[in-house]
Amino acid sequence: MAHYAMLIDAARCTGCAACRVACQLQWQLPPEVFFNRLEFREHGQYPDVRQEIVPVQCMHCDNPPCATVCPTKATYKRADGLVLIDHDKCIGCKYCVVACPYDVRQVNDRGIPEKCRFCAGFIEKGEQPPCASTCMNDVRVFGDLDDPNSAISKKMKTVQVYQLAAEKGTKPRVFYVKRGG
Amino acid sequence: MLISRRTFLKAGALAGAACAVPAAFDFASFVRGAAEAPVTRIPSTCNGCSTNCALWALVKNGRLWKLEGVPRAMKNEGKLCARAYGVAADVYNPDRVTRPMKRTGDNQFSPISWEQAFKEIADKLTKIIDKDTASTVAWLTHGGKETYAQMLLDEIGSANYITHYSTCFTSKTNAWDKMAGAQLTSDIDRARYMLFCGRNYAGGIMPGAMRKIMRAKDRGAKIVVVDPRLCELAKVADEWLPIRPGTDLAFFLGIAHTLVSEKLYDEKFVREYVFGFEEFWNANRHFTAEKAAELCDIPAAKIREIARELAKNAPAAFLEPGYHGLHNHYASSTRIAQANVIVNALLGNFYKHGGLMPAASPKFGKLTLPKRLQPEKGPRADGAGVGNEYPTVETGRGIAQHMPDLIAAGKVKALFVYHFNPLRTAPDPEYQKRMVKADLVVSIPVSWNETSVYAAHYILPEHYYLERMDAPKSTGGNIAYDYPQAVMRFPALKPLHDTRHLLDILKGIAQEMKIDDLYPFTVEEEAAAMLRPLGATLETMRESGCLEMPEAVKPGFPMKDGKPALGTTTGKVEFTVGAFKLHGRMGVPVWTPPLVSPKGDNEFRLIHGKQPWHSHSVTSNSPYLMAVTKSYNGSRMWMNRGRADKLGIRDGDEATVEARIEYKGETRTVSKRVAVKVTEMLHPECVWVPSGYGNFSPRQTVGYQQGVNYNDFAPARVEPLSGGCMVQEVIVTVRKGG
Repeated sequence: MAHYAMLIDAARCTGCAACRVACQLQWQLPPEVFFNRLEFREHGQYPDVRQEIVPVQCMHCDNPPCATVCPTKATYKRADGLVLIDHDKCIGCKYCVVACPYDVRQVNDRGIPEKCRFCAGFIEKGEQPPCASTCMNDVRVFGDLDDPNSAISKKMKTVQVYQLAAEKGTKPRVFYVKRGG
Repeated sequence: MLISRRTFLKAGALAGAACAVPAAFDFASFVRGAAEAPVTRIPSTCNGCSTNCALWALVKNGRLWKLEGVPRAMKNEGKLCARAYGVAADVYNPDRVTRPMKRTGDNQFSPISWEQAFKEIADKLTKIIDKDTASTVAWLTHGGKETYAQMLLDEIGSANYITHYSTCFTSKTNAWDKMAGAQLTSDIDRARYMLFCGRNYAGGIMPGAMRKIMRAKDRGAKIVVVDPRLCELAKVADEWLPIRPGTDLAFFLGIAHTLVSEKLYDEKFVREYVFGFEEFWNANRHFTAEKAAELCDIPAAKIREIARELAKNAPAAFLEPGYHGLHNHYASSTRIAQANVIVNALLGNFYKHGGLMPAASPKFGKLTLPKRLQPEKGPRADGAGVGNEYPTVETGRGIAQHMPDLIAAGKVKALFVYHFNPLRTAPDPEYQKRMVKADLVVSIPVSWNETSVYAAHYILPEHYYLERMDAPKSTGGNIAYDYPQAVMRFPALKPLHDTRHLLDILKGIAQEMKIDDLYPFTVEEEAAAMLRPLGATLETMRESGCLEMPEAVKPGFPMKDGKPALGTTTGKVEFTVGAFKLHGRMGVPVWTPPLVSPKGDNEFRLIHGKQPWHSHSVTSNSPYLMAVTKSYNGSRMWMNRGRADKLGIRDGDEATVEARIEYKGETRTVSKRVAVKVTEMLHPECVWVPSGYGNFSPRQTVGYQQGVNYNDFAPARVEPLSGGCMVQEVIVTVRKGG
């Protein structure tokens, strides 16, 4: 069984939003519904200033609060780590929107709180999610943590990583490269 | 345009596709549908900017599904930016022009048939040529795409092929051609030190260049970005140096002075391959790093440090030759371009790996066409290359921004505007609107852009790029790559509307003008003829998406009979340009202050640049890209926090921006409102606006009146040496509120 995850090196991100729009075409989403968000932050004062851009999306948590709170089990976790939504079961209560510590759910035109699907249906065929494959700066590496030869497994061995809001105990499957200093 | 899953599947059902589309569907059935529908992959090249990224259009049920980059293509290495996706999805944008249109009043158009449009345009054109000569016919274009227009101009005897480059980077091409006989490109892959000034590959995106830059960074090369704004490239650079806008020339001269005075320059290279070094040095021997520092706000010690580091890493070090960002903005832009050539030559990096290398280009074949008798061409209407007007401006590019003057003076009577929107992308739109006064204005666009709505008498819509085949193109240029490559557009989709290919549009007009045999070929035939000497066919091109030839570029200064053989008079790099000496000017660059400078607390220099998710005016009506803008407040005008505090402006506040436009005795005040982004990432003397906003065509519903555009505040001037439009020689006053 695969265990899918993503490794994001935010220091390489230049904020072009290709990840967002590539994903929108892959899933034929309308312009207002998107699964990839960028957090822009400035640090310091002119001229000693630097910019931080952090891509944020569904973390496909091992312990997903969105699934725990869902009254109809519309949000569920697969054995391979993907947190998905069964649209037929969703009653649009938006409890999951409130429960998500990462604020990554977007309500679509049918009232269903959507989010990143880790490209379910595509990755089994060996395809890369377009957010990763279109990134000119190689910000994202997606793959199977159980496969020691996968790009992500190899990369994880060479860097230190952290997770967003790790203190919430959600155990995200999206890891970020930790930079020194 | 909204491609919701529902409309997507419905369109598939209407197309009578094989896959069953459930009446009520859910996520799982969509995934099944997506898996089962046959997908075709057709190669094309992106039309979101001028980079020509090679892509695969993935089409399901006759409808565009998504795009993938072509991995082998050197300009994008398999990657695409947000613009590519947004612009591709715009094939379904309801704001496209769906059929030929004829003006019936202010902003009023009626549909007409292609046949009627061809006949009326041909009649008017024939009358104008007979009465006023063909020298009053002009073709105004983005440029670099169409030879068909030149064939028509040649046939009738007009020299007026005019490109957008005077609103972009003509000072660069002009200076490099005259000084080095070529345009060299930075060899990022092998460089150890890279200095980028006014070139932001992460904002004005070229994905292949960014990949090379990030790989260079990973292997330890140093990247320095000099820019008044902490631009996207500066974000990932080793150093960001916020230069006072308008002083790049001082900075470059300071670098050059350090290199020469500290004897760090490549003396052998200068001795053997440079002409005019003494003239340059005599004119600049007192322009020290300290002198430069006073002007450009970068400490002298830093200027010297950069010069020393460049020299230490030379020849695998370069000052990026730059693009629009460096070469269109100031009265000194041509001198900036000259100083750029000089700094690089002092490093001895010409034709060296890791320095500057020529672009590899495939040797395309061409169709054998019957030779035609062609009338002599009259003088150029725009004055480019004309003795007593703009003698040093390149005639191959021309001057785009003063067309209304040419029309008012009777020099242009008939105007074609192709794939270009000067009413939005050239200075002073109110002035540009006067183009409508010509006897005949034909716009050939895909969308209801400003030029079509306010200036065109006829609008002849072209097929969208995904709907048409275009002849193969070389991708060489801007960044070094040793292997010639060709990319090509194949039609991925059937035309949605009553549009035509440019070649067929011109065939239609030519036939009505009784020039029946001007274009005796199809695009397929032309493309096949171009590919033949490369050993390729349309089929191999279609399968590969990008054709790569064996290595064609090797380091080594061009020599002939033991002598330097650049395409200049002396065969050497010429630090002084004889042609520039007209009217008592210098042949070498010397410090030239900006034309105008901000003074009071409420005055700022207005500067601009690219944002990663928009380019020019063609992307700002894209629903996907405008949604990105809205997510990130992307249309705000940037202002330094210290300056904003003094004006009482807080992040997100509305402000009024005003400028006086003075042009040829006419004075107007332009006033616009815009939201302000208060930031630490900008030099205090300027405000910065992203280019590509402020669209004012009411028929472009998405981009209409979002943000402001730098062209709103700039007069349509012509810089005399290269024809540039000096669009950062603009001072605006800013006050909080309305």
